[in-house]
Amino acid sequence: MTNMALYRHEMKGSVKLLIIFGAIITMYVSIIISMYDPEMMKMLDSFAEAMPELMASVGMKADAADLLGFMVSYLYGFILLVFPMLFCILRGNALIAKYVDKGSVVSLVAAPVKRRTIAVTQMEVLVSGIVLLILYATILELICAESGFPGELEVTELFKLNGGLLCLHLFIGGICFLASCLFSDVKYSVASGAGIPAFMYVLQMLANAGGSAEKAKYFTFFTLFNPDGILAGESSAAAGAIVLFAGAAVLYVLGIMVFERKDLHI
Amino acid sequence: MGVIKIENLVRDYGGGKGVYDVSFQVNQGEAFGFLGPNGAGKTTTIRHLMGFLKPESGKCTICGLDCWKERDKVQAVLGYLPGEISFFDDMSGGEYLKFIGEYRKNGAKTRKEELLERFELDPGSRIKKMSKGMKQKLGIVAAFMHDPDILILDEPTSGLDPLMQSRFVELVAEEKKRGKTVLMSSHMFEEVERTCDRIGIIRKGRMVAIDSAGALHERHTRSYTVTLENEAAARAFAADFGGICNGVHVTVAARQSLEEIFMNYYGGEKHDEHGTVPA
Repeated sequence: MTNMALYRHEMKGSVKLLIIFGAIITMYVSIIISMYDPEMMKMLDSFAEAMPELMASVGMKADAADLLGFMVSYLYGFILLVFPMLFCILRGNALIAKYVDKGSVVSLVAAPVKRRTIAVTQMEVLVSGIVLLILYATILELICAESGFPGELEVTELFKLNGGLLCLHLFIGGICFLASCLFSDVKYSVASGAGIPAFMYVLQMLANAGGSAEKAKYFTFFTLFNPDGILAGESSAAAGAIVLFAGAAVLYVLGIMVFERKDLHI
Repeated sequence: MGVIKIENLVRDYGGGKGVYDVSFQVNQGEAFGFLGPNGAGKTTTIRHLMGFLKPESGKCTICGLDCWKERDKVQAVLGYLPGEISFFDDMSGGEYLKFIGEYRKNGAKTRKEELLERFELDPGSRIKKMSKGMKQKLGIVAAFMHDPDILILDEPTSGLDPLMQSRFVELVAEEKKRGKTVLMSSHMFEEVERTCDRIGIIRKGRMVAIDSAGALHERHTRSYTVTLENEAAARAFAADFGGICNGVHVTVAARQSLEEIFMNYYGGEKHDEHGTVPA
């Protein structure tokens, strides 16, 4: 089901973006974890109290108790959501729609390779990239936490948290992949593949800001990823992650089916 | 036996664009020229053969396999040169050919080197920086290198200089001798006349003529008998116009060129000297 030559070629195409986003994540994760300090926490809490809406909109809340709670507040509201999401958008669009739009997909379909194999391979490239990014973030968090604050991090809890994060990004990748398979024009593929996740994120920010805008949380899939809930062991948070994972599977299968059946004007 | 078979193919894009009820077949070991002006439906027909498009109605088969449902099996015996070439820009020519070889799982048996030499193509340069002609050569190498039994070539000589055009014509003639089946689309009469056994002419999405190149000529041969004053004048006239002298009567056959025949089907629009139809 995988064409290895294509997989290798496309993974090479992912490397540059992976390095860029890896570097950004390295910078933020190392700086933020090193900032963990009960004294500092008090100061940040005072910020959060002074301007709760602004801080909350990017997921930063007061009363982040331990190291993991601190990381949830300052990494899982913006940095670890937005940068892997950008990776999904850029790669998702480039893997199918860009080739169809430019016509270079001719080289791929004018060969004894099933379209399903092509689509599955491209999906695997996207999923590999997402898994690599989240895996890298996890290892980085472990190293930074263990070197700065030995023994403070609950490792299994971190794995659970990042498992949920992975489900979220697989789902976002699924949206981008389906958009990429659906549209033969990069314009529309980007508009929906980037537009939907970005709009959903804005809704999430609104909902976080609280007040009457909190209802917005019912209209965004980001609600399904609930870091605090995962850490608190709530079953609804686990269910949310499962829903995201199942949704991702449906989106990828749909994308592959669409690509298999679509007319290619190339 | 028809290796490539198109039966009542319909694809309506609306506004008079598309192909309507197109049927023809190409036999084993034959070169078929598919002639028509820009926008007549040549490429649309070829996309159906390649399995890129699903027929609205009708059927395309290659070696008895359905071109849409069994396209991956069809592709195994096919070499394709697209009309508009777009490769992965970030690669060099050599990297592209290597990638295609691995992607298609061609194995060690490849005519790559021989073809690169024949078309004097330097595979080291970046595809992004290549001229139209160089890209065309690269496309030809990619289409022929796995030594396919059937070749589908969409306007194969566009962008090539006259020397390379004639090398291409030689290549097609050699392949035909080796029993390969060729379908070649073009709006250039000369290359079709030089390479193809049979010719199909498409106009506004409909086939208007399908016949052997010879028969198309034959059908459009007109002869005239001219009577002159005396035999000496008749002989001189016959010598000048290549006629047959019979006493004072001279019979002159005016064979139309394929281009003129073509124009008959197109309603006599004026051609420029390169043989392309004004858009």
